[in-house]
Amino acid sequence: MSAKEVKKKKARQIWLNVLPDDLWVKVDKGVSIWEALEHTDVDIDGDCGGMGTCGKCKVKVVSEVYPPSAEDEDVLDQDEIDQGIRLACQTKINQDMVIYTGEEEEEEEFLKILTTSHVVQDLYIPLSGIDPLVDKRLVILPPDIQQDGLSDMDAIKQVLGPEYNYLKAPLSCLRKLTRNLKETAFHGTAILNQQWLLDWQSESKAGRGYGLVFDLGTSTVVGKLLSLNDGTEVGVTSCLNSQSRHGADVISRLQYIKDNAKGVARMHKLLVGDLNRLTSHLLKTAGLTKQDIFVAVAAGNTVMQHFLLNLTPIGIAEAPFSPVVTDGLINKAIDVGLKLPDTAILYTLPMKSGYVGGDLLSVVLTSGVAEQKDEIYLGLDLGTNGEIFLGSGKRLLTCSAAAGPALEGAKISSGMIAKAGAIENVSIDGDGNISYRIIGNIKPRGICGSGLVDLIAVLLHLGIIDDEGLIRPPDESKNKELASRLVKRGSIYDFRIASAKESGTGKAVYLTQNDVRALQLAKAAIAAGVETLINEMGITVKDIDRVYLAGALGNYVDPLSTIRIGLLPQVDVQIIKSLGNAASQGAAMVLLSKKYWYKTTQLADFIEHVELSSAPGFNDNFIDHMSFPNQNTW
Amino acid sequence: MSDYKALQEAVLKGDIKTALEQTQKAIDAKDVARDVLDNGLIPAMDEMGDRFAKGVAFVPQMLRAAKTMQECVKLLQPLFAEGDITSKGKVLIGTVKGDLHDIGKNLVAMMLEGAGFTIVDIGVDVSPDKFVEKVKETNPDIVGMSALLSTTMPAMPETIEALKTAGLRDNIKIMIGGAPVTEKYATQIEADSYASDAGSAVAKAKELLGIS
Repeated sequence: MSAKEVKKKKARQIWLNVLPDDLWVKVDKGVSIWEALEHTDVDIDGDCGGMGTCGKCKVKVVSEVYPPSAEDEDVLDQDEIDQGIRLACQTKINQDMVIYTGEEEEEEEFLKILTTSHVVQDLYIPLSGIDPLVDKRLVILPPDIQQDGLSDMDAIKQVLGPEYNYLKAPLSCLRKLTRNLKETAFHGTAILNQQWLLDWQSESKAGRGYGLVFDLGTSTVVGKLLSLNDGTEVGVTSCLNSQSRHGADVISRLQYIKDNAKGVARMHKLLVGDLNRLTSHLLKTAGLTKQDIFVAVAAGNTVMQHFLLNLTPIGIAEAPFSPVVTDGLINKAIDVGLKLPDTAILYTLPMKSGYVGGDLLSVVLTSGVAEQKDEIYLGLDLGTNGEIFLGSGKRLLTCSAAAGPALEGAKISSGMIAKAGAIENVSIDGDGNISYRIIGNIKPRGICGSGLVDLIAVLLHLGIIDDEGLIRPPDESKNKELASRLVKRGSIYDFRIASAKESGTGKAVYLTQNDVRALQLAKAAIAAGVETLINEMGITVKDIDRVYLAGALGNYVDPLSTIRIGLLPQVDVQIIKSLGNAASQGAAMVLLSKKYWYKTTQLADFIEHVELSSAPGFNDNFIDHMSFPNQNTW
Repeated sequence: MSDYKALQEAVLKGDIKTALEQTQKAIDAKDVARDVLDNGLIPAMDEMGDRFAKGVAFVPQMLRAAKTMQECVKLLQPLFAEGDITSKGKVLIGTVKGDLHDIGKNLVAMMLEGAGFTIVDIGVDVSPDKFVEKVKETNPDIVGMSALLSTTMPAMPETIEALKTAGLRDNIKIMIGGAPVTEKYATQIEADSYASDAGSAVAKAKELLGIS
């Protein structure tokens, strides 16, 4: 940026009072509300990362109001401006200020994020296959072994056998070892990870051993607690990724770390904070303590895995998109900042490239595609970046399609994540009446990704939207009720989903023409990615034997709608299957069996990455897929 | 002079067959090639640019229209008299360093071409040095820069700086665009103009060169 703000040496301190939390923040004169709240617990929405374009960081200025900025006027309506509503990122604080950051949460909002996996078996892997990343071995040291002045460690090695000839132990374990051996009367449990003795515990504890799995989503972080003995899932919980305050998508967050010297450290702290909260919630609910946790496995996109380890993913911000590391790593959990015992180990999954991360490897692992010899699988993890794989155990291609956040409801005028009040499903009856299913069964507040895909499919079906994506003028519509919902804005029309009265926010909920355009671009990126892989593989759509959908959208979206809007190619709807939260499922498989840890490493080598932006024909495919398919598949 | 309504409609629809038929009809009627271009094809593309800017038309439609126009121009080519095709100006266009996106840039290039500008497209991931080198080589009136990622936007001021250092800045107008780019940003980095979409890029380019 050329215009660097010159910071005055003695900036005057002023106070910002934030309601309804009644938080008092001391700020330097001239900073924006957004900047002032950055280091507080106050969470304000913002998809664009403070650039003044998304219009989601609205706050109400209760004290003296400044005239609106140009950005305010662009994205706020006159009513809002009159009420003192301003964009936090554009409003500078020049004197003491009182703001109101929105309604008080009446109750904890229920997040509908996919936390279960739609697998047939209850267990991630069969009991017989359980061979967790951390071994607990019952060890009985015979009394005579201690003679001849043998060291404690050598005694343990002798009993464990040649497999552990090179056993080492961290100082934290060695310092307590003699005492622990005595206390357990030399009958204890050795906690082993690779060639390391992590701890020596009493025999009675042998039955207690748990591991954690983290799915580091850009919008949502999921944590699971699993028993290492039998592989059962003891608990699952999720929360919004706290980094969201610095932008809804990976690019905005990369921008943030580019602009802020301490950006990476902050992102790391926010993410680790989320993981620690999830962990303490999981432990409390299960009645366990952190001492029961031996190992954790984390999977996410490459940027998230970098943030978790406090590595800078800045290289991914621009071509050629180079990460710091793509290897699977094994670290002490406390070194990463997780509030787990000294001995607990954190595994982070291998990655393929800057935009194909451990989450996609997790999905590939879960799908079992690499074991397929004859069948060809297509897999899609639909998020801000649509990660796609295609192939079999003979050849497997992956790519990452920059779909943007539209499919997750971000950058859509009434878009929201899948929480209470979000329209998640839209259907029509024989008479063309539209009905909505709303999470929490309350008045609609907005629309989430699956609802958006459904709604556009329905409106295409009803002819309200044409094949080119235009919302048609009402005089071209036969259905009077629907026609009355079309609102003219300049030369274009918006579709009113719910009037101010019908909505849960007191403001009308629209599907705007621009929303349709945003969805067209998003689905075109995914569809063009799929087509590019199909061409690269030298097959046709007919050769695809199975389609797996993963990710939150992938699991709630109606497969028919995805075909109707052209997000998926024209396959038989019967072959489309949901994989559940495959990112955390793959990570769970790794946690429970060393075999899968090695497998992910092999997979990272085996799969071929196709860089779409330089793939021949991608641009033409992309443009072709912006229109909607005209054949009616319903 | 004939009425070019049918031709214009065909261009707007991207109906190459009908557009070519209509062009041929005009040729058979001994219309002046230059009139077919100025009163038939170019107004159709202007209309498409306007529809695109308003959100009524979308990328594929605009591309089809541009392709249709190109085909018609090919048909007219042998009939142009010397001096008929005068370029409105030369535009050097590229996506900045670190950014591989070129759809938006290509659209702008096509629209400008359709409106009568000469285009030098230097591709994607273009370093400031390459911009400088190409400006020296081709001597354009306008330099257009595109960035789709907020993370690659800073390459725009870097490129402007490089053009200044090379002493080329005063000879050219700089125009920028791309999803994260704003009017404000253009002012901040001292670009001469910002266009929010391919349709308005034409109007902005004309404005920069003082032509209507």
